[in-house]
Amino acid sequence: MEKQDLSLENLDELAREFRYVLTDAICRSGSGHIGGVMSLVEIVITLYYRVMNVRPLEPNWADRDRLVLSKGHAGPMIYTALAYKGFFPKAWLATINQNGTHLPSHMDQNLTPGVDLTAGSLGQGLSAACGMALAAKRDGRKHRIFCIIGDGESDEGQIWEAALFASHHGLDNLIAICDYNKLQIDGFTRQILNLEPLVDKWRAFGWETFEMDGHDWNAIHDTLAKADAVTAKPAMVIAHTVKGKGNSETENRVDCHNIRIPDQATYDRIMCGLECKMELPY
Amino acid sequence: MDCHEKEMRLVYALTLNELIDRNPNVYCLEADLSKASGTSPEVSSRHPQNFINCGVQEANMIGVAAGMAREGKVPFCASFTAFATRRVYDQITVSVAYANNNVKIVGTSPGITQGPNGGTHMCFQDLAIMRAMPNMHVYSPADANELRAILFHMAGSKQPTYLQLIRLKMPKIFEGSYRFDPNRAVRLHEGNDVTLVSTGFMTHVALDVAHKLSSEGIKVDLLHYSAVKPFDSQILVDSARRTGAVVTVENQNIIGGLGSAVCEVLCEHRPVKTKRMGMPDRFGEVADPDYLFDKHGFGLSHIMQTCREMIRSKKAY
Repeated sequence: MEKQDLSLENLDELAREFRYVLTDAICRSGSGHIGGVMSLVEIVITLYYRVMNVRPLEPNWADRDRLVLSKGHAGPMIYTALAYKGFFPKAWLATINQNGTHLPSHMDQNLTPGVDLTAGSLGQGLSAACGMALAAKRDGRKHRIFCIIGDGESDEGQIWEAALFASHHGLDNLIAICDYNKLQIDGFTRQILNLEPLVDKWRAFGWETFEMDGHDWNAIHDTLAKADAVTAKPAMVIAHTVKGKGNSETENRVDCHNIRIPDQATYDRIMCGLECKMELPY
Repeated sequence: MDCHEKEMRLVYALTLNELIDRNPNVYCLEADLSKASGTSPEVSSRHPQNFINCGVQEANMIGVAAGMAREGKVPFCASFTAFATRRVYDQITVSVAYANNNVKIVGTSPGITQGPNGGTHMCFQDLAIMRAMPNMHVYSPADANELRAILFHMAGSKQPTYLQLIRLKMPKIFEGSYRFDPNRAVRLHEGNDVTLVSTGFMTHVALDVAHKLSSEGIKVDLLHYSAVKPFDSQILVDSARRTGAVVTVENQNIIGGLGSAVCEVLCEHRPVKTKRMGMPDRFGEVADPDYLFDKHGFGLSHIMQTCREMIRSKKAY
């Protein structure tokens, strides 16, 4: 299955379904990182359905585009896309964070078909994405490496080590996306550790920079196309997003990084925060 | 290659060149210490496409190596032991060991061989902390021929591995025909009076101990562990059963390293009186090896004396 041509209505419907499934899967596991998952729905759908070359029946296809989720706690977002693309049965989604699962809270390259890199300890995925991009260049291969980092994750010094490294080596096959939802675990980024001027920082580190509305289908698609066209340097796309997007119980709330669902009443309340009700695929 | 006349770091570099000649997926990564590791200019000039100097960013170097390994490369990442291990312990834990990415980490100038850089750079805990990590093999060769054999093994295996690299020229112990087996310790001297266990930099001292005590009529069973993990339990238990007394010596803190590995095995399989020698839970300082051996009591004369005492106390035990 290669890239698909979906209408905006189809994409909206897919995003609604993803949010419904994600919320249910996270809630039924008792807890999970719902905020930074919901902020990525449109970006990850765009990557898997409109941008990246992947083969669900051949997850290790050598010429596939790679996706490194450096903010590894958003694993359930990637799992949902992989399941809907056919990398593994959708029934697996009901096992997220359950004992013995193939879909752990944080990404694991050895457990999940289609996961390109293990990540969880913040700051490390972008370095590995640099290594993957450098390896591709040395081998003369044409695939691209996409890497999603968090804004809170950008507090880590290793992100800026990788930033220096990628531009020094002219890694134009590396496209990074910062999920700039303005919230980290303990509060708003501007209050905990201010990142601004964020775009200027990446530009100063030698990256081509872009900004986009991370929930606007056309903006995401067009911006990623521009980032892909950059030559001789890496591209950073600052995606302005809303943490916990699409659920009134989580949207832009400081406490939505990781929710706990201790009982049925909490589950019902969180599910009611979604704007729709639908059949679950498992 | 006649390598025992060369500094170990040069043997490292020349062997890497050979390995890259044989397999272009082998890469040499450095963090601005490539001259100290011996790979510049040896590897950087001969194989510039396989040489990546990351600058002073050890954390990123480990991550880059993990990503390259995921793409089928075999990266060897070198820095001083302190910066190759304790500084990047979480990066190695998650990006290398937990992910099981085939990265080779090379810690140079272990323990007291760090000399003039002193206490900030002298790392005595790398064997301990690397050994405590699942999926990680830990090697500490004693001479150039063994280093070379281990490098060939590492390049051909898919195992995340930590290698302690002594940079100095070391006395020859092994022949060029030596074959490394990570599951086997090597008996360098046979005896029934006391078991002496060593690794890395201390093995040539331990061999001197065995020869000198032999002239006193004391027969040392000397076991050299080039692989501290996996750990060859069988040869140790068999030796302890015969000698009834064990002395360990290492260029490391006595907490957590080779001595601890020995005690873990003995207390479960063959409890005998055991004495650990090495840094007695102290930091290092600017000094040469003999000064530190004397100050902390793990040089040649101290090991000889400890072996004698262990034999005496065995009789009283």
